[in-house]
Amino acid sequence: MQNFSRRNVLQMMGAAALAGPMMSAGKAFAARENELNILCWEGYNSAQVLDPFRSDFSANIHAESLTNDPTMINRLRAGETNVWDLINVNNPWARKVMYPAGLIKPLPKEEFEPYFDSMMPAFKPPYKWAMSDDGSELLGMAQRFGPYSFVVNTDVVSRSMAEEQGWDLFNDPGLEGRYGILESDDWNVFNIFLIAGINPFIEHSDDDMKKFEETAVRVFKGAKLVGDIAAMNQALISGEIDLHMTGGTYSVSPARADGFTNLRAVTPLKGPIDGKGGVAWIEITSTVNNPQLSPLATEFLKYVQDPEVAHTVAFAEGTFNPVSQMGNKACFDLFTKDELDAIQWDSLEEEMDRSAEYDIVPDYDKALEIMTAAKR
Amino acid sequence: MSTDKRRFRLSAGSASAVPVGVLLVLGFLAPLITVAAYAFATPKSFDVFRSFTFANFASIFDPSNTVWQSFAWSLFFAALTVILLAVIAYPIAYGLNKVFGKWSGLVSVLFVFPLFVSENVRLYGWVLFFIKNGVLDGAMKWLGLPGGLDLLYTPAMILFGMVYVYLPFMLFPMTLGLAMVPKDLADAARDLGAGRMMIWREIELPLAMPGILIGMLLTFVLAAGALTESKILGGQSIITIAQDIEVAFTYAQNWPLGSALALILVVIVSGLSLLILSKLDLDRILGRR
Repeated sequence: MQNFSRRNVLQMMGAAALAGPMMSAGKAFAARENELNILCWEGYNSAQVLDPFRSDFSANIHAESLTNDPTMINRLRAGETNVWDLINVNNPWARKVMYPAGLIKPLPKEEFEPYFDSMMPAFKPPYKWAMSDDGSELLGMAQRFGPYSFVVNTDVVSRSMAEEQGWDLFNDPGLEGRYGILESDDWNVFNIFLIAGINPFIEHSDDDMKKFEETAVRVFKGAKLVGDIAAMNQALISGEIDLHMTGGTYSVSPARADGFTNLRAVTPLKGPIDGKGGVAWIEITSTVNNPQLSPLATEFLKYVQDPEVAHTVAFAEGTFNPVSQMGNKACFDLFTKDELDAIQWDSLEEEMDRSAEYDIVPDYDKALEIMTAAKR
Repeated sequence: MSTDKRRFRLSAGSASAVPVGVLLVLGFLAPLITVAAYAFATPKSFDVFRSFTFANFASIFDPSNTVWQSFAWSLFFAALTVILLAVIAYPIAYGLNKVFGKWSGLVSVLFVFPLFVSENVRLYGWVLFFIKNGVLDGAMKWLGLPGGLDLLYTPAMILFGMVYVYLPFMLFPMTLGLAMVPKDLADAARDLGAGRMMIWREIELPLAMPGILIGMLLTFVLAAGALTESKILGGQSIITIAQDIEVAFTYAQNWPLGSALALILVVIVSGLSLLILSKLDLDRILGRR
């Protein structure tokens, strides 16, 4: 029989302490079939959406939500492709940036394209933003979307007046100090261009940039506040402001769901993007080019197509949004009248028609720099 | 052979310090080195440790770049916060040591308690207090006073937020500093005919100075990197340097620029701190001369 000294015991404990985490690290590498990491806009990370999937697949799911696309793309670029399995960002990034840069991988087309058939008519396959540039590969699935221009308190600024005047509202000296700006700088770049009467999604001349700068300085100077969605809705409800730039169904729906239906997302009737004045977003969820992609990634994409889950995604905590699956009657019927009212279903189609789809500004870096300086 | 072994063997003290050393290197030095390395990487790239350029600093120091305004605002607000807090916290610290007696514990807890609630939640609470038709405005109208106070989303409100948030960081080191002043010395001074002001100036203040200085430095460093106060209470009516760093890391997709800005902030803040510390001669203050 061997006698253990205190030193032996301490050595063994030390070895066990070291070996423990290493063993579980080995397990983590091997157990990707029960693990799923999602990088997404808020909503997909809510317990209502994730918990049923967790229990169905006994899966360990980690979802991190961020509130702007560039940060999420950055994370993949910085080398986190081996961390994440799914990425959920707005429409242009998959086909224009992430796929060409090798950050995401295509989905099996035959398995996923049929889902688009039951979506709303605008998403019929092949749906542009879900496809690669050459149209050969399916790069992601569409679900939440919405028009995103500005929000008004219709008790003060009527819907018809706001639609008529469009972005010129923010050129009106009478409204100085009466509006807010959502801190969503990529969208603010689009909207400053639109207020200046310039199409944001084209290459800009020096004159355009000069006009952009003048507009940015004036608009930020005239703003009562710059803040997040909660701050905008709070300021609208309290009467601190009467309207705010950069906003739509996504930002105002929580206030509308709380009964403040006088607050309304507005899309201008006309504007400089080939006649369109609004901008809309469509989220595309793609599988990350992870060398050890979890098999649950594609399972999750199928799971959220289910009518009930799609309805949960639409009304997950945070913001409330229309989903493409509302084209399926089984899904649409799950929405109550109040829910449809919160997401402005009555005007959704016409507002989407009046909106250009979110795109990448070719000279975004320069414009953002000018706008950041204008804020100071 | 055995002598070689002995030469490289760590002393027991050094060996015991290894875990802490490793922790400090990994948790403190490694991120700092990464940020510093990013600051010299090609702009808008992730070529950290693979590229070396001064381009990020060149763009920051370009005369057409107005980012210096953000540095100036941050440092100015940090300095103001420190001055205001020194004036506000001193009487409280004095009270905790000499006046409140058995109530000191409770008063301390009241000042510590807000630290258990997230800063964002507390600041949103103040928004609800100050917002139009909010607690203050609503109460004034209810009492028949003219409402319509326009307080939120102004630089003054940012300063209020900073003073409120950083109060404990000034108060507690200052309280400790004042606790270090022996009562006997003040008594002796009084016996020798010193007036209240003289006792305060010649005895209390110098002896409490280490605590006061640590409080001031702590608040200054924290306030120079402040962001949420200007975002939540100030409606971004001024842009702080922390916000510029955030924008560089997020919307601008330019980690190297963000790192360069962060590095400059570290250099300015630590440089100023060291300068002040060297000017004030800690040794004399601590009485170790």
